[in-house]
This record gives sequence, structure tokens and C-alpha cells, in this order.
Amino acid sequence: MAEIKVTINGKQYEHEVEPRLLLVHYIREKARLTGTHVGCDTGNCGACTIHFNGKLVKSCLLLAVQADGAEITTIEGVSGNGLHPVQDAFLEKFGFQCGYCTSGMILNACSLLAENPDPTEEEIRESLEGNLCMCTGYQQIIESFQYAAEKMKGAAR
Amino acid sequence: MLDFDKLFVTRDWVGKPIRRNEDVKFVKGEAVYVDDLDMECAHVAIIRSIFAHAKIKSIDTSKTEAMKGVLAVITGLEVAAQTQPIPPRAITQPAIQFVMAPDKVRYLGEPLAAVVATDRYLAEDAAELVEVQYEPLQPVVDIEDALKPDAPLLFEEAGTNALLHDTIGHGDFEKACKDADHVVKESFAVHRYSSTPLENWAIIVRHDKANDSFTVWANDQQPGRTVVNVCKVLGIKNKQLRLIVPDSGGGFGIKLAIWPYIVSLCLLARKVDQPIKWIQTRREHLLGGTHAPDCHVDVEIAVKKDGTILGLSVRDLQNDGSFVHTAGIYSLIKFATLVGCYNIRSAKMEFMSVATNKGPTVQNRGVGKPTAIFTLERIVDLVAKKLGLDPAEIRFRNFVQPEQMPYTTPSGEVYESGNYPECLRKALELGKYEETKKQRDDLRKQGKYIGIGMSAGIEPGTSNLGYYYTSSGTPEYMGSGEGAIVGIDYDGNAGVIIGSVETGQGHATTIAQVVSDMLGITPEHVSVDNTLDTLVSPFLGHSGSYSNKFNDVDLGAVIRATEKIRAKMLKIAAHVLKTDADELRIAEGHFISSKDESSKVSFKEVASYAYKKITLLPDGLEPGLKEIAYYRNMAAKLPNKTDFNVQLTHSNSVHFVVVEVDTETGIVKFLKYIIVHDCGNQINPAIVAGMTLGSTVHGIGATFLEDFVYDENGQLLATSFMDYLKPVAAGLPHIELAHMYSPCPYTLLGTKSAGEGGAIGSLAAVANAVEDALTPFGVKVTSLPITPEKVVHAVQESKLI
Repeated sequence: MAEIKVTINGKQYEHEVEPRLLLVHYIREKARLTGTHVGCDTGNCGACTIHFNGKLVKSCLLLAVQADGAEITTIEGVSGNGLHPVQDAFLEKFGFQCGYCTSGMILNACSLLAENPDPTEEEIRESLEGNLCMCTGYQQIIESFQYAAEKMKGAAR
Repeated sequence: MLDFDKLFVTRDWVGKPIRRNEDVKFVKGEAVYVDDLDMECAHVAIIRSIFAHAKIKSIDTSKTEAMKGVLAVITGLEVAAQTQPIPPRAITQPAIQFVMAPDKVRYLGEPLAAVVATDRYLAEDAAELVEVQYEPLQPVVDIEDALKPDAPLLFEEAGTNALLHDTIGHGDFEKACKDADHVVKESFAVHRYSSTPLENWAIIVRHDKANDSFTVWANDQQPGRTVVNVCKVLGIKNKQLRLIVPDSGGGFGIKLAIWPYIVSLCLLARKVDQPIKWIQTRREHLLGGTHAPDCHVDVEIAVKKDGTILGLSVRDLQNDGSFVHTAGIYSLIKFATLVGCYNIRSAKMEFMSVATNKGPTVQNRGVGKPTAIFTLERIVDLVAKKLGLDPAEIRFRNFVQPEQMPYTTPSGEVYESGNYPECLRKALELGKYEETKKQRDDLRKQGKYIGIGMSAGIEPGTSNLGYYYTSSGTPEYMGSGEGAIVGIDYDGNAGVIIGSVETGQGHATTIAQVVSDMLGITPEHVSVDNTLDTLVSPFLGHSGSYSNKFNDVDLGAVIRATEKIRAKMLKIAAHVLKTDADELRIAEGHFISSKDESSKVSFKEVASYAYKKITLLPDGLEPGLKEIAYYRNMAAKLPNKTDFNVQLTHSNSVHFVVVEVDTETGIVKFLKYIIVHDCGNQINPAIVAGMTLGSTVHGIGATFLEDFVYDENGQLLATSFMDYLKPVAAGLPHIELAHMYSPCPYTLLGTKSAGEGGAIGSLAAVANAVEDALTPFGVKVTSLPITPEKVVHAVQESKLI
């Protein structure tokens, strides 16, 4: 067993974990933050996407022990009681159906828009390379990205 | 017939793209799927066959049982001793299969045993320690091999691998051939694929020892039927099983086959003192989490030289793999779309459900109709080529005309409404057909291979469940229906509980829109609980989300229950205001006298009479404000080979596609994708659009990427999303969507099916476009998927995809 200290959404967690425990299982089962999902087990689907020390990563491809000392943001940390503009955009543009991929999609959007506030449709499609959605065919997700970009640009002005 | 004035108090919500504000939980990560339930569960891991076909000589679980942290083990032998076999529905040959294999395995990944341990990692370790001795048998993978006289049998008791073989004919096909100028024949092959919901199957079972009852949480798509099956197979009473379906991460039909696992888990749960949980892995899902069957279809079509289609004959062989519960139904449901949008008066189909050592099949999005429309719309294109007709022209010459509606097909399917010629005209106009053809021809001269493809398809909805039994007789289910409860709470707000489940279709918002307009309130005053709980929710054997039944019978039940509650509130309000109910109008949560605007009573006040001041209620009126209603589609006919409607609503669409094929790499690029969709009236157009786009991408994925490839030993070669490729955002077309609105006369809101259409029409349209692009090379498309490798090979050598 190994002891780890992780900051998730600004809160400190300390646990004894098995070295083989996947980070996604740590987040879901030890930290009890169940908005991060498991869809494929092989790093293809992106349902487990989180921000890890500011980077967009798939938490099924990391071990919990690798997160010792890390700062993590999950979907639960994207906004407080209200809605982040990206979350609002997904509602406004119907960017989700079953909701299972949505956490990863929203973290992807937050990450892309932080780097590139005005992405083209092509750039958004590229950004979604590692996030699968089985319901929407992506079109309304792309519209959600675009709507969020517009709103966030407006707010920044 | 539709009478919206009687139905609705306001027209503020229905028909508008209202935000899914009921579903904020999904964007906040606050939805609760089965694996998110906060319960102290032990974990289940399943031991699966490593062979496609083998006898099980022995299973040794001693090492597993001795392992620390292991709570219980169960094997197929134990399961079979305590259960009834899986009930078949459509097949006519006897075939005995248990939910866990006792003595013989029939597909790679078939469950043989299961273990429960204190933690999911330990359970996986423990599963590794189970020692299974197999005696491998010769596997049968392909339809042709399975039908050879000396083929190994999947089910010895059947005496054949053809578990269903029947012919149903309508009209005189032989005469049609005599009267025709040409009879065009072609054979098609469609592969195995699946819509793979992103959330895998998930089950929690809690056993109550005191009365040997089970509470089950599962992401099941047809809970009404699951309760029937689990009780029957497990040999328990209805009262011993409570099924709860929380949020579910997509379904697409694939979650209709979870129930056999519920049976096994119930037996395991009896052995331990805490709830147990099984979360399917993606590998397990791809191995045994069910597929759409692959099939071979031989088509003959009799045509006059002007293109008039006189008759159609189809020989349909389905590789139904190894799940007797679903075997046979893919062929039967094809009768819903056999003649497509065309006025074809003679049609016959010989069909066969073939058992093989491929994985189980279940009703994947569209259920057979994608293949039926693919083969029909491909052969129509081939006929057009032969006759030198434009592909649009041959379709115009054969369409069922709007004045023929409602139109009964030769098999008895009733198309309620629709304007098929106008739908195609509109698509051609949006696609600038004539201009695009010119561009295509010009670019072809420059060595760029552009192709235009179209398909006109029927998108049926609301399955008449009697169809399963068309060949086998003695139907256990017929028709389609659903139940709903609508109540008004102490605060005067509405609450809805329904027997169907939500798998991503925005039911809560759609229901809230309908109830709001019926009660003159706003959606924030309507709460819809999508969690199905068989202890609380109204349900039928049909209950669930499948076959596009929601905006027919599910909303039908909601509307009937809302009418009841509205009538009861009106009675109370009239009594309180000392007037007649006819004198009252409803607005903004109040009943108002039409004679005196100041004389009014709020919903909250009416509720206070119903719940609290019950002595003051009108004589004979029950207290409380909660009404239940069940609703069924009255158009359903009894199962009958000569006149039977397999499905009860029929939307239609045209897909118009322009592609460019790179003949060097075989890669197909979309230049244009247009859909004109007619699903009658729409309640929430943005939700309908989402489902149309999403289902179209399912079809595009199936056409180009997704393929459950098996080797000759029955080993599945695609067991992760690295081998089983799903469409990603890059490379997909921006789809242009246009709508027509031909209301259905037989549903309460004029709605028709809306969830599967894209998955039906897309395969043919895309394939037609690819073939058109490759015209200079003389390539014909008769199989799916269209992989780059097949394209290059066809261009260079075979001329056949």
C-alpha cells in the first residue's frame, strides 16, 4: 500500500492505496466523485477525462500513486453552484443526450478554449479526437463549443 | 384524430426547442448511473469461455474459493440446476440455452462461472484462478458453413442450425416476373456491428433473506419484459423482484439483453450478505454484450422498362449467433420496411435465423431495417443503372403517393402519412442536384472521383410485439403500450412518473412540455422522475425505451393521466368557486371563472382541498391528486402472416450524400450530407434533431468503420475501441437537416418515430454515393463495411466492394 495526497477540486484527499489502483477508480471510489466515468478501459473514449496539473488527461491511463501531490479538476470542480459558460452552452445547444461522455467533453472544451478562445470547427473536431460520444454524432457538441467560445469571448471583453 | 384545442390549454411549449433544464445534472457530473450508487457492494467478475465452441469438461473453483476476500463462486452447472432455460420467441426449432453455460459453450466470452469478492480488483484476480478444462469443438462462424449438411450443431436438439426457416409471401411474385421486362438479381452481405452505448452494462443486486426477495438496480432498457423473464427463469414470484433503473448512459437496443445477467447475479446474491455489483468492462461488452447480426440477402426485383417495380423477392439469412431469445426477430421486423417507400404490390421473403458460434445478437438501433433499406435502396440504384434512368427518377416513378395515405403494404403494414416524392424533391433541391451532377462530371474528367448517393427510407416506430411470434405462434406479447402517473403536489406543481426509461432522449423535458401545455403551467412546475422503480412506477410488459415508442404510447399514457388529473382539479375548482366546470378556464396555475375574472382558485389551493380539507370536497369525489393511466396504440393487429403490422408508426426520410473517394488510399471524404426527415409533429425539435444526427453517425460508423471481425476459429478480433473503431468528430460531415411535418393520424400528438431514422437511411445513401464515385472503374458495392482496403482492391482488381 502507498500513501498519497491529492488535491481534487481544491480539496485535499489522503488515502492509503494499492499501487495498482487506477486513478479513475480512486477518484470515483475513494474521493466519491462519480462525475468522472469509465467507458472503455483502454484510453480511447475519454469518459474519464480530467484536468491533471492543468493538463487534459484520461484518468484510466494513470495510477492513483502517480497522482501523489497532483492538482486535479474533475467535472464537479468546473463550477460552483451555478453553471460554467461551457456547461451552459451544452444545455443551450443540446450538446448531450445520455450524459455519459459529457463530463469529458466539458473538460475538453474548457481546456481547448483556455488555449484557443476562438477555435474553428475543424480545430474543435480535432480537439475531440480522444473523446467518443455514442449519442449525438458530435454536431451539437461542436455547436456547444462554438456557443461557449462566443459567450466567453463576450465576457472577456 | 388530432384535436389540439381540446388537448392543450396553452400552446407555449410543445413544438419548441426547450432547453433540457430538467437534466442539468448531466452537465454537472451529478447524474447517478448504476455504478455511481453509493452502496457498500461486493464485486462480481465473470469467467468467460476462451473458445467459441467447446464442451466444458470440468471447472475447478477450489483455488478461487480459498482466496482471501472471495465471498462466493457460482458455476454454470449450479445456475442451470436452479433456473429455467432462456425463453425463445421467434424461432420454431427447440434450442435450450441457460443464462450461464453448464456443459457447452457456444461463443467466445460466454459466461461459465462468476465470483464475488470484497473488491473489484480482487474479484478479477479470483476469476483468473478458476481452472476450466475444455474439449474444443469445431466452430461454425459463417452462415454458409452453418448450413452445410455436416455442420457442427450449436443446439443438437434442433437438428439443424437454422432455428427458424419460413417464407411469407404477399401478392404474386411469379406473375410479376412474367409481366416484367427485367428481373434484376443481386446478393448483399452486411457485417456485424453495434451501437455500443458508452456506459457498459451495470447491475447491483441486494438479496433480502427474510423473504427471499431481490432488489435490482440495472441500466435495463425494457424493464417490463425483464421482470417477466427474470421471474420466469429464476422461478420466483413477481413480488420477489423489485427492479430499479436509474440514469442510463445510452441504450440503442443493446441494453435489452441484460436480463440473463440479472438472473445469474440474483443467484450469487443469495450466497452473500451484502449487495453485489457487476460492472461490465468494454471488452466484455464487445465480446458478449450483443451485436446486430451479420446477414446475407439475395434480392430479386421485377421491373418494367420504364422503371416501374412490379415485385420484390428477398432471401434473408441472418447470422443470429447464439442467443435464442432474440434469434429470428431481425428477419421478422424487416416486414415493416420490406417494400420501403415504394408502391410494390407483390413481395415475398424467405428468411432464416442461423445459429453460429458468433456472439449473441439483440435489437441494435434500427433492428434489421438498416439492412432492409440498404438492400432495397442499393438494388433500386442498380436497376436505374441497368435501365439508364436517373436514380432520383426511378424513385419518383415508384413512390407511394401522398393521396394513397394511409397506405397498406402487401404484408399489412400501414403507413399512416407522409409525402415521399416531396421529401426527395426537397432533398434534391437542397443538394442542388443538377448543379452537383455537373460538378461531379467535370471533376471526374480531372481525375477526382465524386459520387452522389441518395436513399429514401421508412423509419418505423412502436413495435407491435406480436411480431416476434409471426412464425412460432402463441404470442406472449402483443401490441404496444405504456403507463404513466401524473400528480399535483401540495404546492400545486405537477409530477410525472412513467414506465419507460431514459437513455438519453430528453424524456423529462419533452414530457414537461406536453404537461405544461395541458395544464397551463411552465416546465419548471413539472418534475419528471425518470427513475423506473417497479414498486412505484406504472408499467406493462412493454415498458421501456425501444422501437421509437416514446412519442406514441409513452406520451399517450402521460396525456391520458394528465387529462384525468385536469378533470379532477376542474371538479374541485368548480365546487370551490360554486360554478360549473365548463365556466372555468385554466391559466398560469389557476382556474378562473370566464364570467368573473376575479373569481379564481390556484392549483395550490385546489391541492389543499384534495389533500387536506377533504371534508369540503364534492360528494363522491376521492381525495388526493394522483392519476394513473395506461395507453395502447389501437392500430395494432393480431400476429398473422397475411395481414400484420409489425410496427405502428412510419416516419420517412431522404438522405442525400456527396462524397469524394481517394482511389489511391481508399479513403472516402464527405462533401455534403443532407437529410430531409418527416417524423410528423415534433415536440422538441432540437431533441429530435440530436437523435437524427446521432443515429446517422451510427450508420456512417457502420458503413465505414465498425466491424466485429471473427477468425475461422470464432475468435473475435475486435475487443476494444482500438480494433472496433467508432466514428470520431474529425472526418464526419456537417449534416444539414431539413424537416417535413406529416402528422400521424393515429397518435395523440401526430408524432411518429424519431430516434432510429438516421441509422436506417444512411448505409444505403453512403454506399450509393461511393459506387457512383467509382463509376469510371465499374465498381459495384454489395457489401459493408466499405473499408479503405476494400475500396483500393475494388478499384485495382475486383470491381466489387
